[in-house]
Amino acid sequence: MDSETSNAVMDFLKTSISHYTELTADQITRDSQLTEIGLQSVDAVLVCGNVEERFEIEIDPSEIFEHETVGSFARAVAGMVDAKA
Amino acid sequence: MTTWYLGLATSGHDPALALVDAAGQVVYAEATERYVQDKRAWGIAPDHAPHLERVFRAAGVDPARDEVVIAASWKSLKNERPATQTNMRLPDAAWLAVLQSRAMQDAGASLLRLRMTDAPPQARRYEHHLCHAVNAAYSAPFDDAACLVIDGEGDVGATSLYRMTGRRMKRVFRSWGPGSLGMYYAWLTEACGFDWRLGEEWKVMGMAAFGTPDPELVRWLRGLLDVNRGRMRLPPGLTLADADARVAPHARRPDEPIMKAAELAASGQQAYAQMVDEILTEGLDAPGGKLILSGGCALNSSYNGTICGRLGFDDVFVPSAPADDGNAIGAALLAWMEDHPGSPIPRGDGSPFLGARPDRRVIDKLGAKGGFARVTDLAGRAAKVVADKLAEGRIVGVMRGRAEFGPRALGHRSILADPRPAEMKDRINAQVKGREAYRPFAPVIPTARVPEWFDGATRTSPYMSFTLPWKPQVRERVPAVVHADGTGRLQTVDAATNPWMTDLIAAFEARTGVPVVLNTSFNIMGKPIVHSVEDAVAVLMTTGLDAVLLEDVLVEAG
Repeated sequence: MDSETSNAVMDFLKTSISHYTELTADQITRDSQLTEIGLQSVDAVLVCGNVEERFEIEIDPSEIFEHETVGSFARAVAGMVDAKA
Repeated sequence: MTTWYLGLATSGHDPALALVDAAGQVVYAEATERYVQDKRAWGIAPDHAPHLERVFRAAGVDPARDEVVIAASWKSLKNERPATQTNMRLPDAAWLAVLQSRAMQDAGASLLRLRMTDAPPQARRYEHHLCHAVNAAYSAPFDDAACLVIDGEGDVGATSLYRMTGRRMKRVFRSWGPGSLGMYYAWLTEACGFDWRLGEEWKVMGMAAFGTPDPELVRWLRGLLDVNRGRMRLPPGLTLADADARVAPHARRPDEPIMKAAELAASGQQAYAQMVDEILTEGLDAPGGKLILSGGCALNSSYNGTICGRLGFDDVFVPSAPADDGNAIGAALLAWMEDHPGSPIPRGDGSPFLGARPDRRVIDKLGAKGGFARVTDLAGRAAKVVADKLAEGRIVGVMRGRAEFGPRALGHRSILADPRPAEMKDRINAQVKGREAYRPFAPVIPTARVPEWFDGATRTSPYMSFTLPWKPQVRERVPAVVHADGTGRLQTVDAATNPWMTDLIAAFEARTGVPVVLNTSFNIMGKPIVHSVEDAVAVLMTTGLDAVLLEDVLVEAG
């Protein structure tokens, strides 16, 4: 069961990632593989930046590359947001 | 036991160290290039052991008893970052990554050489742009301001904007991914036929005064970076090869006449100004009040001089060392603040004179050794005598007190001359500094006299951070310090912060009627500013310099 924060992060990621790929937000799920959704590495870094600003956390630019799926990244970000609160 | 905070500028270029004491005050700061006398000191450790040993001795650090906390000026290692598209040439980007990563990994290792630790110390790491911001805030004369950091590269992007309230810094945003004004200017420098690795961005700024911006070219150059709510990034699809091809008709090869670059330099500078304007107006919810600028791009004095009174800002501050060397201070202060939770950013007295003193023992030997026409102790009357020498057309190198921290000579490691003869500029460029004839020289003027001599809203410029237009009616009086476009990159002085220079200018005015002196850095082209007494004497003996003042001892050439 994912937390409320994790769901909020996931919703944000769907919109943010769809901006940089051919996919619509609905086509991006927790199980979407980050390497298979057409997200260029340069854009992945920008997604990190968007997440940092939206959730007011400090995030490492390499964070996203440590995850295989969008859901895994979302949970990691949610952990940072909750730790800050 | 005392705890000291040793800040290290670990970019791999422009290394520097800074020492903060237990009270949170900067007691020492110096660029490595000064000590090793190698411009920009590429790849040399910021805690270069012999340099560090001297600094500890000068500052009173006791290696046997004291504790030293090491602070590095980056959070991340560049060679561990994801590869991102950049507007830097790939060999340069890789080279910088190698040097930065090495500097980060080895930070503080020189403590082993001094036997202050049994194992390599763990350096604390601080975000690069936050180091820039805190360094600037330390010497800023106000507690509340917007703070814009723009440089070549930060930990994640090349632009960060902060809001300082009650000397506490809160980030508004940092840009992510490629898109860097510092890299843009480096690229422009190369297109103008100069070399950014030698720090020749200055030449572009100087050259810009000779050209007229071409509106079409400016528009295209402006398009090389997107600004979105203040965040910069490369336009999608733009490659460096495309930019090179497009600028080629306007570019200059290094072997072509210098003036060929004038139009491109002027256009590139104007595009730069438009981009920074956009960052400031779009990035801040409510532009206005005080502004602090830091990061390497804050050395763009031509642009800096245009901000005050425009865009809603009523005061602009740039520290004496806004580029990566200055981050030694930022990192040391952040380490101190980490150990003093809740403390605001400490406030210094604004003095840029944080470096080494001339070695008195060497100065004393000069008289005994002989070989010079005259060695005279001018204790108590040096300002007056030097002012007279200047009025008589002499060019005098001055090495007094502690060295400046930052790229500008501000009267402690300066070459001074009379700004009235038009030919003085050519004389110094050709006979002393060995540099190109078009390069301008800067004026020093008492703060209170600025409104008589300059237009523009900026009133104080203690570190030569701002270029302002001279009033048209005074330009003929000081032609050696008036640039081709009628401007001057002024240093302002007052009795409280720079008493000796203030006395010297008063004496010069009493004799000539002009309260302005030409001030250029005490070095020759391609070399850093002199560090030791021996360095200063070598310049005297190998150039057209007429004399050097070492503390109060005047040494005149034969």
